[in-house]
Amino acid sequence: MESMLILEKLCLGYNKVIYREINARAGKNEIIALVGPNGVGKSTLLKSIAGIQKYHSGTIKILNKDIRSYPPNKLAEQLSFVPSQSPRAKNFSLFDMVSTSCYNRTNWLGKISEQDYDFIYSTLKKVGLDGFAGRDSSKLSDGEFQRAAIARSLVQDSQIILLDEPTAFLDIANKITITRLLKEIAEQENKTIIFSTHDLQHALKICDKIWIMGHSQFFSGEPENLIEKGAFEQMFKDSSLKFDSKLFTYI
Amino acid sequence: MLYLFCTILGAGFHPAQIVKLKRSYYKEYAIIAILLLALVVLNLILGSVIIPVKDIVSTLLGHHTSDFVSDILFSLRIPKLITALMAGAALSICGLQMQTLFKNPLADPYILGISSGAGLGVAFFVMGVSAFGISMPSSLFFSLGIATSAWIGAFAITLLILLVSYRLKDNISLLIFGIMLGSAVSALISLFQYFSSTSALKVFVLWTMGSFTGLNPGQIWVMFFLILTGFALSVYNIKDLNTLLMGEAYAKSLGVNLEKTRRRILVATTLLAGSVTAFCGPIGFIGIAAPHIARLFFRNADHKVLIPATALLGAVIMVFADTAAQLSTPIIPINTVSALIGVPVILAIILKNRFV
Repeated sequence: MESMLILEKLCLGYNKVIYREINARAGKNEIIALVGPNGVGKSTLLKSIAGIQKYHSGTIKILNKDIRSYPPNKLAEQLSFVPSQSPRAKNFSLFDMVSTSCYNRTNWLGKISEQDYDFIYSTLKKVGLDGFAGRDSSKLSDGEFQRAAIARSLVQDSQIILLDEPTAFLDIANKITITRLLKEIAEQENKTIIFSTHDLQHALKICDKIWIMGHSQFFSGEPENLIEKGAFEQMFKDSSLKFDSKLFTYI
Repeated sequence: MLYLFCTILGAGFHPAQIVKLKRSYYKEYAIIAILLLALVVLNLILGSVIIPVKDIVSTLLGHHTSDFVSDILFSLRIPKLITALMAGAALSICGLQMQTLFKNPLADPYILGISSGAGLGVAFFVMGVSAFGISMPSSLFFSLGIATSAWIGAFAITLLILLVSYRLKDNISLLIFGIMLGSAVSALISLFQYFSSTSALKVFVLWTMGSFTGLNPGQIWVMFFLILTGFALSVYNIKDLNTLLMGEAYAKSLGVNLEKTRRRILVATTLLAGSVTAFCGPIGFIGIAAPHIARLFFRNADHKVLIPATALLGAVIMVFADTAAQLSTPIIPINTVSALIGVPVILAIILKNRFV
């Protein structure tokens, strides 16, 4: 399968290395969960791929081209990023919020084209925020806001979507809605989706691949293979937790 | 500007579903325009001498009324009015951009030390002149000297902040640097004041109180072109300011060059606030208050709406303050009046905490 994204010997960090040697690939319409203990560098990895943060060494390639050779606007056409907690602007309508992601297609004043109007409306419908366009985005519930942020990255119309803990702070119903939505997007729209999460059980069920950032080693693979290899045992290997391969969780 | 209004008002020509969504702001703009017009007329009428509307109209139309009336209008009230309008609009959109850039509802045009920079320039000039024994406080040389030295001071401080901004990548560090720099410069100014003569001190203190009077047509044109350039740059910043509302990480992932944007905002601030401070002194409060009033009144965070709204409301407040100030003889310093208007607004913001 053609790889959208390739990470080669990627070392994270700015002046000093905080995580070393990540080798991984992500294909078209794949949904990938990035798991690992707190503070290991999941956000840093996502931000490094998104070009928000510098990385120490190694290469990140999108469509076989180093991301450092992409100008910022071209990179934004390939890749969008949903931060874990976006600030909310009071009195900023949902439509205005989502339309900011047309940044690279609009004129100097940010005027939205007719085509983008339709695109934004159909996207809002897709994420289940039909009829919400005129609402104040700062007054949406956490679940609705997360869907709005996903709509925003869909409107950016990039091949790859990176999400930093999209289901943190959400109740179980919203968690499932969001992960199902992501799965649907990956399958129907041919997108590559990579999201970090602590909800391993759910990730194992729906994801094509899991990236595990263990304290000492990085694993990438299909859920079943990783379980067989005992990769999940590595993730919290310094603690007394044991991975139960039937329950898909730590006990 | 015209284009901007057309885009905002032009929302009415889109398909039906969009009309519902993109409200037009005819009503709000009409209210502000009428208010501004009324205040402008009042500003020309009221003062130590009350000029009837009839006389104002015939003088403006070029009919001869009396030398006394045309003298007051053309050499006093009209230049002052134009200066107040420009200062109000300029400081307000400056404050708006600072508040968005630093995500801080209490940021104002001076938060990075522009006013203390200008103050230092003026302090140097005033004390220097008095040290050399030149005493002609009302001469053209003196007023031009104050404006020029204020401009140089403001520009020097911004230049320093721009240089530092290449190194300090995040905005909060830059904010802290600006505030620290401002305090250090203020301390220097106090030192100057301590060692200066009484007459020099008086000139300096009068400058800090702010004034719209005493500008000749040449100076008004200079101020106009500087502010126009700053305004054009601010309009160009609108698109990036809107993405900044959603956080820096997101803006960067969209391909916004944050450092360039920040520099453009800084340059706009110097052109706007620096020029106003140079010609009128440090006018406080309006830069904080006007953007908040615009947000309250328009209920929209989109800078396409907020920039013109804030500029107009800033002009309204400034002309109102100036009209109030000129009602007494001698005229009350403008900073006193603007503080009396600005403080309640800021207190309301803190107490209600509704803009954070």
